[in-house]
Amino acid sequence: MWLLAALARMQPAAESQAEDLSCLRRIVSGDQAAAAGLYDRHSRALYSLILRIVGDESEAEDVLQEVFTQAFRQASRYDASRGAVAAWLLMMARSRAIDRLRARRTRFESRTGEGTLEEMPDVQPDVASVMLSDEQTRSVKRALGELPLLQRMAIELAYYEGLSHSEIAERLEQPLGTVKTRIRLGLLKLRDSLTEGPA
Amino acid sequence: MSTHDELRANAAGYVLGSLDAEERRTFEPHLAECAECRAEVASLRPIAGVLATAVPQVTPRTELRDRVVSQAFGSMTTRLPSASKGGEARPERKRIHAGVPSWVALAAAVVIAIGAATYAVRVQRQMGALQARFDQTQATAAVLAAPDLARIDLQGQPVAPDARARALWSRSRGLVFTAANLPPAPAGKAYQVWVVTAQMPISAGLLTTDGTGAGTQYYDTPSDIAAPVAVAVTLEPLGGVPSPTGEKYLVGMP
Repeated sequence: MWLLAALARMQPAAESQAEDLSCLRRIVSGDQAAAAGLYDRHSRALYSLILRIVGDESEAEDVLQEVFTQAFRQASRYDASRGAVAAWLLMMARSRAIDRLRARRTRFESRTGEGTLEEMPDVQPDVASVMLSDEQTRSVKRALGELPLLQRMAIELAYYEGLSHSEIAERLEQPLGTVKTRIRLGLLKLRDSLTEGPA
Repeated sequence: MSTHDELRANAAGYVLGSLDAEERRTFEPHLAECAECRAEVASLRPIAGVLATAVPQVTPRTELRDRVVSQAFGSMTTRLPSASKGGEARPERKRIHAGVPSWVALAAAVVIAIGAATYAVRVQRQMGALQARFDQTQATAAVLAAPDLARIDLQGQPVAPDARARALWSRSRGLVFTAANLPPAPAGKAYQVWVVTAQMPISAGLLTTDGTGAGTQYYDTPSDIAAPVAVAVTLEPLGGVPSPTGEKYLVGMP
């Protein structure tokens, strides 16, 4: 019994990936229960990320619906060799949510005649090939909290607010090169926290 | 011509999706031919996944499940247009482009001081302080990136001519207030920050200053208040008061 439990703890990502892939296959053949299954397993994580980015519940609900609509449509084209379904969904959620923010900023700037925001391409479609263990995720979160304020702020503005390097440089009134260095050092530190393990 | 180090500096932004179009145009061909940069991109990718999940977890309303599963899934087979609508228009505010850095540095100094002060206490307390710091940083970043950001500079009044402060206000995201050179608050007194509307002054909250008279604080201000006609700091009894009674130390108008 304990062995089963131990295995279950070791393999959550792999099992969940197999389940997700089976859902996608059944969605392609028009199985609505599979669509509900995919929703049940991922809606909380996706909604949380979207809400963190757009900051408004009703807008977050719209974006969540867009993400699942896109996922259902693209289910047939999903390539398992590119990585975990969960990471693919999260990437779509982030990208759609940031599109909302940019549209909001562009509307605002066009009204005030300061249209400086450049149209930016979506983030990469390829996804993380590695799913992290819970322990690894925890140590990265801990490391995130320990980053110097300006490194963390630059990363937050880039990832959750969808600002470009040059926009971040402008908001923080820092040279562009400094901003890039801060973001890079911050991410490298987070990466190192993965290999060091818990402090 | 960019050096390799300059190009490599874009690897992290590439992973976060924060390169602008020009940076991307130069970085992508480089990535195709540089194994070192490809390795860095690959090693940083999982971090983007962690950032995606390192947010407060919130369960969506149960009604949403039906809407997504039946409507979105149904629309896939019947090709109905998506039911989504555009985002709400935001009220117009003066946008700022400049003037943040020394204030951010000041905020960093204050945060570091707070960090140092809590260093010696028990682990549990440390975690609590760390959490509070996250929330403050996150809220501050959100205000700085707000589409409706307005900046109000405050000048020291006759009781504190050297004091200065800046309020960054977003109707949708709240107020970040940073002050410097305030005299130490006398015993039994505290500084209180006010958002003054045409109708009345609304308390944002108390402001704690350090040994140099500097303080930075995020306040979650109500989004339905009238546009501020001024922001002010007064000296009030410890714990604050519902409407200002004390002497004005800092005042600024948009």
